[in-house]
Amino acid sequence: MNIVVAMKQIPDLQQIRIRDRKPVLDDVPFTFGNIDKNALEAAMQIKEKIDSQVIVVAVGSSELEDTAKEALAAGADEARLVIWEDGLESSQSARLIAAAIKQLDAIDLIMFGEGSGDNYSSQVGSRVAQILELPQVGYVSHIEFQGDVVRLTRSLEDCEQTVEVKLPAVVTVTSDINVVRIPSVTQILKAGRKPKESIEAEDLVTVIPVPLIETISNLAPEMQRKQIVVKTVQELVKVLADEGFGGRG
Amino acid sequence: MDFTLTKEELLIQKMARDYARQAIYPVVEKIEKDNRVPDEILEGLAELDMFGLVIPEEFGGAGAGYISYVLAMEQIARVACGPAMIISAHNLGLGAIANFGTDEQRAQFMPKAAKGEHLASFAFTEPGTGSDPKQLTTTAVRDGDHFVINGTKRFITNAGYKGPLVVFAVEAESGQPTGFIVEKFCSGYTVSKPWDKLGWHGGDLVDIYLKDVKVPVENVLGKIGDGYPILQFGIAYGKIGMNSVALGTTLAAYEEAVKYAKEKTHRGQPIAKFQAIQLQIAEIAGLYESSRWLSYRLGWLANNPKSYRDFAREAALSKFVVARNAQEAARIALDVHGSYGLMQDYDIARIYRDAAMGPQIEGVVHMQQIILAGDILKG
Repeated sequence: MNIVVAMKQIPDLQQIRIRDRKPVLDDVPFTFGNIDKNALEAAMQIKEKIDSQVIVVAVGSSELEDTAKEALAAGADEARLVIWEDGLESSQSARLIAAAIKQLDAIDLIMFGEGSGDNYSSQVGSRVAQILELPQVGYVSHIEFQGDVVRLTRSLEDCEQTVEVKLPAVVTVTSDINVVRIPSVTQILKAGRKPKESIEAEDLVTVIPVPLIETISNLAPEMQRKQIVVKTVQELVKVLADEGFGGRG
Repeated sequence: MDFTLTKEELLIQKMARDYARQAIYPVVEKIEKDNRVPDEILEGLAELDMFGLVIPEEFGGAGAGYISYVLAMEQIARVACGPAMIISAHNLGLGAIANFGTDEQRAQFMPKAAKGEHLASFAFTEPGTGSDPKQLTTTAVRDGDHFVINGTKRFITNAGYKGPLVVFAVEAESGQPTGFIVEKFCSGYTVSKPWDKLGWHGGDLVDIYLKDVKVPVENVLGKIGDGYPILQFGIAYGKIGMNSVALGTTLAAYEEAVKYAKEKTHRGQPIAKFQAIQLQIAEIAGLYESSRWLSYRLGWLANNPKSYRDFAREAALSKFVVARNAQEAARIALDVHGSYGLMQDYDIARIYRDAAMGPQIEGVVHMQQIILAGDILKG
């Protein structure tokens, strides 16, 4: 089986500092989003049961060449990278990822994290399914293979839903689908020797898709200590309840 | 000068950080209480190749080099020093076999140790010796195709785990210190209970009793009567691991101080707003950065050795600065915590105890200063 895992290169969120409500991205290294890593782990667990080839597809700036080693260390067999230095909004990413996947032979399963680690727009998986005219199942927390049919459990707000889908299909996974394993030193060192192919976005598509959304500002929410002084336990309970920490009932 | 870490180095650093936070931190209290690292943690570290990280691939290791080793060890020691101490001592023993062993010895002892199935030890210190090889009392007497070793070794790490022990004894005929490889738990090999140390819990220090231990002649490490270079190697290269443990302790002190300064409030504002606290944070930051670059540089020098003498000098310098910085950083970080820092509920109490270990273990700081000064003033 051929599995594509689409992963988004994002700044390492743990190393971003906020100054004047704006993220300071200077010298912040790139990584892949956490839920994207869950998607890759899910693909690796399928590979352990069913003979598979796992290909990582990603779009981003030239640092992707290095960032891709994270996915290859985690077990992906090869990486297809689309290099585009400018920022991309979801519709552009989706069109470039879909174009890269079209170049691959007979893909059975395309996997995404349910949302990216930075903007969490949760759009790219659905958009890629639309462009490739494939069925899509979102928010998957369990995957089970039964012949050429895949049984998937979706984690929805109030319930779990089980659906079946015929391959090929697009699946987006939730973060609770698995616990991502930590790659060993040997896996990390071998990552650089695995096949990795980069293509400039201009060479992949004849016309670079234009952005459909313009980001006007990207600001961190303001957080301040409320400095509410309480004198009794009852008062504290009331304040907490008013702040939304009261629990149910 | 380019201090940029490669992607592989960053990933190895992250690997160790993630494992330390996810797997080791939840059992730190248990390690402290039992003075033993749980087997599943050692198995987890083995799966990550931590026991063979610097061992060349041809001997069954990962061959990642000493910079990666320092980066990974720092992150493990940042959470718990015991596991890092075990890895450091293991590499001390295994490194001696890699550098001075015959092909047969390497083939016999290294693959399982590089995979973490066996843990290596390095045994020089005795109850009556400090760092002086002339004071050795353990003896090795040839008897046909083997040597018979008798003596007591003190403060030996990993001696309670299966694997090779590099042991130094005075060979009777030459009257000189000689290295031997002993398989732990052979006939005549017994160990004491682990010493109840101030810090670095889980990294065991035990005494070893060798009574008529028979070692085949093939297990002589290097040449008979020529144990001194092996010892010098151990003294110098062992400091890479020891430095990394002290560096991890400094990082822990740094991060705990910053966290506490931002969380703890006084008169409605975080204590980080007070200049007295800011000065302390800046002090710790300076100590950490100076330790970090000395430690990373020592890793680089180990990967790119010019001469043994150069390396030994740099290792001695690095050791006493980094070990003392850890102690000073932990002291200041404890001050930032005020009286809460004295409570075992706060990590800084453990970090403070751990920081006291570095200056005294594997060569006290004054010994390092004598080595350094001896080299500077020579000629």
